[in-house]
Amino acid sequence: MNVRLRSGLIGGVFGLLITLASGGEVAYLGGIIAGMIAGLLVSQAEGETALTAGARQGLQAGLVAGALVVVGQLIRGLAISPLIELDAASSGSVLMTALGGFVIAAIVAILFATVRTLPAPRDTYANFGLIVLLIIAYPWIDRGLRLGFMNEVIPVLIYILMALGLNIVVGYAGLLDLGYAAFFAIGAYTTGMLASSHFDIEMSWWLAIWIAVAVSAIFGVILGAPTLPLRGDYLAIVTLGFGEIVPITIRNLDAATLWIGNIAIFEDVDITGGTKGINPINRPSFPGVGEFSPSDPFPWYYLIIAMMAISIFFILRLRNSRIGRSWAALREDELAAESMGINLVRTKLLAFSMGATFSGFAGAFYAAYISAIFPESFRFDVSVMLLCMVILGGLGNMVGVILGGLIIQFADRLFLPQMAGVVQKLSQQSGIEWMQEVNFASDFRLLLFGLTLVVMMLVRPEGLVPGARARRKVAATSGTGGA
Amino acid sequence: MTTQSVRAEAEPRKTPWRAIAGVGFAIFFVLFLAVPLWDILLAMIASPQLLARQLVIGLTNGVYIALIALGYTLVYGIVELINFAHGDLYMLGAFFSLTLIGLFALTPETPLEVRVPLMFLILILTMFFTAGLNVAIDRIAYRRLRGASSRLAALISAIGVSFIFQNIGLLWGYMRFIPQLNGVMGSNAVAPKSFPQLIPNQNLLEGIVPVRFTVKDLVVLVISVLLLIGLYLFVQRTKLGKAMRATAQDRNASALMGINVDGTIALAFLLGGAFAGASGMLVGLYNGTAVFDMGFTAGLRSFTAAVLGGIGNIPGAMLGGILIGLISALSDQYISSKWTNAVVFGILVIILVFRPTGLLGDGSVNKV
Repeated sequence: MNVRLRSGLIGGVFGLLITLASGGEVAYLGGIIAGMIAGLLVSQAEGETALTAGARQGLQAGLVAGALVVVGQLIRGLAISPLIELDAASSGSVLMTALGGFVIAAIVAILFATVRTLPAPRDTYANFGLIVLLIIAYPWIDRGLRLGFMNEVIPVLIYILMALGLNIVVGYAGLLDLGYAAFFAIGAYTTGMLASSHFDIEMSWWLAIWIAVAVSAIFGVILGAPTLPLRGDYLAIVTLGFGEIVPITIRNLDAATLWIGNIAIFEDVDITGGTKGINPINRPSFPGVGEFSPSDPFPWYYLIIAMMAISIFFILRLRNSRIGRSWAALREDELAAESMGINLVRTKLLAFSMGATFSGFAGAFYAAYISAIFPESFRFDVSVMLLCMVILGGLGNMVGVILGGLIIQFADRLFLPQMAGVVQKLSQQSGIEWMQEVNFASDFRLLLFGLTLVVMMLVRPEGLVPGARARRKVAATSGTGGA
Repeated sequence: MTTQSVRAEAEPRKTPWRAIAGVGFAIFFVLFLAVPLWDILLAMIASPQLLARQLVIGLTNGVYIALIALGYTLVYGIVELINFAHGDLYMLGAFFSLTLIGLFALTPETPLEVRVPLMFLILILTMFFTAGLNVAIDRIAYRRLRGASSRLAALISAIGVSFIFQNIGLLWGYMRFIPQLNGVMGSNAVAPKSFPQLIPNQNLLEGIVPVRFTVKDLVVLVISVLLLIGLYLFVQRTKLGKAMRATAQDRNASALMGINVDGTIALAFLLGGAFAGASGMLVGLYNGTAVFDMGFTAGLRSFTAAVLGGIGNIPGAMLGGILIGLISALSDQYISSKWTNAVVFGILVIILVFRPTGLLGDGSVNKV
């Protein structure tokens, strides 16, 4: 298939699904996303160097993507919305938004395809700059279009931050960790205990977060140490065990007594708040903004974006450092790595503690953002979700992990619930008795999620954006065709 | 000669991590665990009847955990895949048998000569159902990923199947709109479903020994043990079992010897699935309830049991299952049920640290 058509179609499908699920002004957002994906894909596949040629290929891909957005918006606005009487917009405004989405998709695609034609180092910078610009501008786009997605975007970013940390352990060092949520819990609870009235410490969040990170890293070493002699799936099951032990311990430490021999060091101390959790937790404040308020997502958004930027910078530096290379060696062949003089113990423990660090980072933010933490928030599902994000995106590839995280999280939090709402309304109007009782939002969530995982793995077992090594492997085995 | 001298030189430099862990654990033990364990021991001696009853419960729970663990171990031994969906398969087995019980209108009042054959029929149908489902899942979701560069792809696929099964279990609850199933399917879709008391809860040792050992305990124990022995004999004595063992040791070599590798793998899924179904029905009848998310905890415990015994090792899975059952029952009674999972996993971690291949596993030689 023509590369331009294909890029446009891939971008367009995203735009189509987004508009189908939400309708209204979301079409503009659908246009931006569709255009961005189309532009990025088309410019990556065809290395055009002339400015006009780049613009033309961007335009062609953008038009295809925009057309799909229009299709989505028209189906949504003219066929589905009247049926479910959700937002009875006039057909004129539907047409207007559809057209807007179309134009935006084309413009964004042209932008992304054109900057790629700049000479060598500047094209990457410009590309990068555009994406950063979009990320920074997102809260205003959200507010301007009255989308109200911000309260979902921030948890998504928290998850992605954790997935980046898990990627160090699983993707770089090749240690399958099924209990990663434990470090999330440790980071969150450390923050909760320090920055709240629970122990009357009332520490500033800005200080507590660093302590939380340090505590998580230490626990990374403590929980990593027993796994040192283990390999492969035995390692996985032990980490899974820790992932269960930590929440159970947290849940049960609401009246703890520590005995050493027969002497009680302390008695009946409420360490973690048990099932009630710790509530409330102090929110951070910043000069010029004051205390971050739960109703205003702007400071939270920029805070987590800043944390992610710092983390990505550090993880990139780590990967290219000596320790990053020893992780890669460890992942490829433990025995060979050891005979090359790599200290396995140090390398493994560093991987665990580095991974835990970023999870603790995310945990500290989460505790302050939700302002209440419960042991139930750190179950095995969280670990599994994170692992899926890492593997779906492409093991060991940061762009892939971010992309996988975005897709899984947005599908889970925004797209599927919206779709479920639509189907729910339809079934209520169908008038079939047993259909009334089916709750589409909760009754099909796992099914769709599971189907997505299975289908994605069958179609692209190496992930959406495979890491450099996996890509070489595919190229080597399949010759010139494909990939 | 030279290599030997080099190794002799190199060995003392290696940090003795196992020894350090041992010393650390010993210190921890003396400081924190010695007194509580002594208290537990005293409590056990104080009431032997209670201890005996907990041991019976532990044993019955242990054999059904062993039944599920076998599914993990059979599949892992051959294709090295942690079949995450296996616990949920067990849950579906419980639901399927409950549906059949509802359709056949079995109640505790049904005369014994009708009830017993029907229950065996249901057991066999359930085993067929879960076995077929497991083979189908292998065919659809796992087989294509066997050649993939990373084993993680199949693992994620298995996690996906586990979610799908759980959701099917949830939707299964809507069968209560079928009139015959109204009684057994609970008040709403997600509510726990209750099994009728088909096996009497009568104490067999009444007046003989002061220990409760009910008909239920006996039935679950006998059926499970028969199944376990049957599987052991099948793998050790039959030609197909030999093929399974050969495939587990070396897939390529056994393909060269004329063994149908894909068929053998399907057989492992078939046997594992059948055992999960049997276990689902037995547990449903024993505990009296089934919920759509019960597969997760059961799967976790069974997988732990399989690893504890040495994954890929059939007697290991049986031993591991019974150990996990006993440990949980004792921990429920003498520590606290809210700590049980932590105790089980704590013991697992300790055992794996000192014996990284599980209790009966020794490397790759003795798989399946």
